[in-house]
Amino acid sequence: MDLFIQGTLSLFGDPTSIMIFFLGLFGGMLFGAIPGVNMLTLGAVLLPFTITMDPQNAVMLFSVIYCAGVFGGAITAILFNIPGAPENAPTCLDGYPMTLKGEAGKAIGAAVSCSALGGTVSAVIMMTATGIVASFAVRAFGPPEIFALILFGLAVSASIGASTLWKGWLSVLAGLMIATIGSDPVGGVPRFSEGAILGLDYQSYYLSAGIHFIPMILGFFAVSEVLAQAINIAKGTRSRPQASIEFPTIAEFVAVRWTIVRSVFVGFFAGILPGIGATLAAFLGYSQAERWSKNRDNFGKGELEGVVACETANNAATGAAMIPLLALGLPGGALTAMIMGIFQIHGMEPGPLIFVNSGDLVWITFAAMFWANLMIIFLGWVQTKTVVHILRVPFRWLAPGILILAIVGAFALRNLFIDVWIMFLAGVAGYMLRRTGYSAAGVVLGLILGKLGESAFAKSMQLMDYNMLGFMQRPISAVLIIVAAVIITSSIVSELRGKKLQKALID
Amino acid sequence: MKNFRNLAMAGLMASIAGTATYAQSALPDLPRGFGNRPLTMIVPYGAGGGSDQLSRAMAKAIEEETGLSFQVVNKPGGGGTAAIPDFMISPPDGFTVMEHIDTAVAAYAKGDIRENPAEDWIPICIAQITFSQIYIRPDETRYTDWESLVAYIDAHPDELSIGILGKVGSMELVTMQQISDALGLKVRQVNYDKPAETYGSLIGGHVDILFEQPGDVRSFLDGGQMKPILTFLNERPSVFADVPTHREVGADFEALTRFRGFFVKKGVAPDRVEYLEAACKAGFGNPGFTEFNEAKYMNLVQSYRDREGSVQLISETVDVYRDVYEQLGIGQ
Repeated sequence: MDLFIQGTLSLFGDPTSIMIFFLGLFGGMLFGAIPGVNMLTLGAVLLPFTITMDPQNAVMLFSVIYCAGVFGGAITAILFNIPGAPENAPTCLDGYPMTLKGEAGKAIGAAVSCSALGGTVSAVIMMTATGIVASFAVRAFGPPEIFALILFGLAVSASIGASTLWKGWLSVLAGLMIATIGSDPVGGVPRFSEGAILGLDYQSYYLSAGIHFIPMILGFFAVSEVLAQAINIAKGTRSRPQASIEFPTIAEFVAVRWTIVRSVFVGFFAGILPGIGATLAAFLGYSQAERWSKNRDNFGKGELEGVVACETANNAATGAAMIPLLALGLPGGALTAMIMGIFQIHGMEPGPLIFVNSGDLVWITFAAMFWANLMIIFLGWVQTKTVVHILRVPFRWLAPGILILAIVGAFALRNLFIDVWIMFLAGVAGYMLRRTGYSAAGVVLGLILGKLGESAFAKSMQLMDYNMLGFMQRPISAVLIIVAAVIITSSIVSELRGKKLQKALID
Repeated sequence: MKNFRNLAMAGLMASIAGTATYAQSALPDLPRGFGNRPLTMIVPYGAGGGSDQLSRAMAKAIEEETGLSFQVVNKPGGGGTAAIPDFMISPPDGFTVMEHIDTAVAAYAKGDIRENPAEDWIPICIAQITFSQIYIRPDETRYTDWESLVAYIDAHPDELSIGILGKVGSMELVTMQQISDALGLKVRQVNYDKPAETYGSLIGGHVDILFEQPGDVRSFLDGGQMKPILTFLNERPSVFADVPTHREVGADFEALTRFRGFFVKKGVAPDRVEYLEAACKAGFGNPGFTEFNEAKYMNLVQSYRDREGSVQLISETVDVYRDVYEQLGIGQ
């Protein structure tokens, strides 16, 4: 506690630090909110300047950008169905329908409060347990455990956003199949990137890179929404959403308290594991919430609980991601890699000795993340009262802007134009999927989990000498696989029973 | 104006130093119509990785030395192949430079790409050459050095696993295959695709051995989380004076290296190629760049090759890969 107070004091002790703190907060939020540019863009631009900064200010700036950036993307997800960053994608699922119902203020309010809450709790856990948690996570979670975790994720993902369980599974399977395009993770064997179509040989270097989930997300959510709204306008059935600035009530938060607790837990764990991160945290948080919720049928139609679940989880992942970085020198993502770079520029190496050698700096990082998360509430409250008014702009003016942002976002990912085409294809496909009751979110989740899962599976096989039973000989992976199997079976059983019940009622 | 000042400065430095070896050699005149707008530097890997760091450091160094300015663009994917079409459709005017690494050479030898980096592209320089090593955990008790590791593997074949960041046919896997064949080692190979995960797997105890280049794991070496026990090089570099080389432990092969260089397309006017070659040479000699390469352990072997030297290194490497692939039955 003394160390935390000391960190806080040196954080707010001089005007320069305070200025940098708020700069990072606003910057992260702004860049997070615009698709195409994100907190990574801001980080890359600012990185060279940190050489001349005090190390404490530099580390603090990036920690603050990280926290604020993960929240920033929620706003565009809720208002326009464009996730500002991939970790905000599941926020669209219920956030945007809430906007259509005229509850934009409520959705943003919930996103703000839960981001702050998730982030703060994970910052507190980070402060108290970095050393222990880091060495536990890196020892306990090898490729087989990660594969089991992903299998578990797949088991719960079939229920997201589809009209029936079967359509949900088909959507997820489609995603898994798209994930195989590219080259395989071990042998580098080209898959679908060369061959023959209608007797014509082709070889595409672009396709060897595989289909990335970000253009898919932008297409499925932003582009297909523009299409849907345009069709509604043409038919004359579109009603403009109301720009409400109503904040959620305390009672509404109390009602979803268990979802919040679960999401903190899920987000924190996904955040610790290198390579899993905030995006998966958000999706897992969402599917968990849907699985256990009493209002299951309302998910995807504008349920507050859905927004709460993913925004809590993705911010909970931020604090957790700092743990392997600080304690072991293992950055889980690009922004944490930049933070590691800052430590190195100033002659410090993140790793087991960092608490001994530069303990004060670590505590400044902790304090900065804690306060940044608390500040999000106040800033978010102001935003709720202001940005919602963008909805008053007529859609025919808004639509080109949304499309431009989406194109920039898709291209900026890898600077490859193929991603823009994929986005438009996904846009059309997404519109069809929605009309027919399949789940765009399921496809995206299948794609993300498919890539991670195949890589983890291949490594597990090599590690365990191609013995499948090996998964059941390791306690953590065995438990996760059994739970996944139970969830799949029970969902199939309840779907079948529901059918029978319906039939009985009709008869 | 800035050009002139830098040129004059370089000339001055050279005359003061007297022995201008390769670093501060005078630049040729800027070809007409060249360098009047920023050049594009394509990096076929993601932001923050080894190639990205090198490209940004080199871009900065060339800017300081010549006044040319660069826009660095990352086009990651497909293990470095996704960026190639964009490079190939760019006009051959010298305004587009691509960074690439020995992986492209391996991909060409294997038949994964059609472009021969030594013939279809013009290398303007190679700026990093490094070697690989084998690492263990410092607190490992079953074995403590290469000798005891080999003894342990012989007594327990196929028990230990080695983490390798690379795919089938990569420099990493080929080298491991060569040493395993030479010494009759039986270890299980696990192919990783993300650096952090690979290093975490050694530290967390999921694999027992790690194959890497020292610059990539320097922080773990300095932090005492990893320990080198074998160097793939003909002679011991001074920094790793107490680590044996593969030759010393009885493996008789020329070890492949990791190298990173810069290319323009075939068809760029010769005066522009010459200018870029000189600019790259000047960039390599830039003090900031030298410091960067030292921090990455890229000063342990001579890391610079000019155009001719690069073509030679690439062509030789193609031959080595072809031989190895033939022996292993990989590729076309």
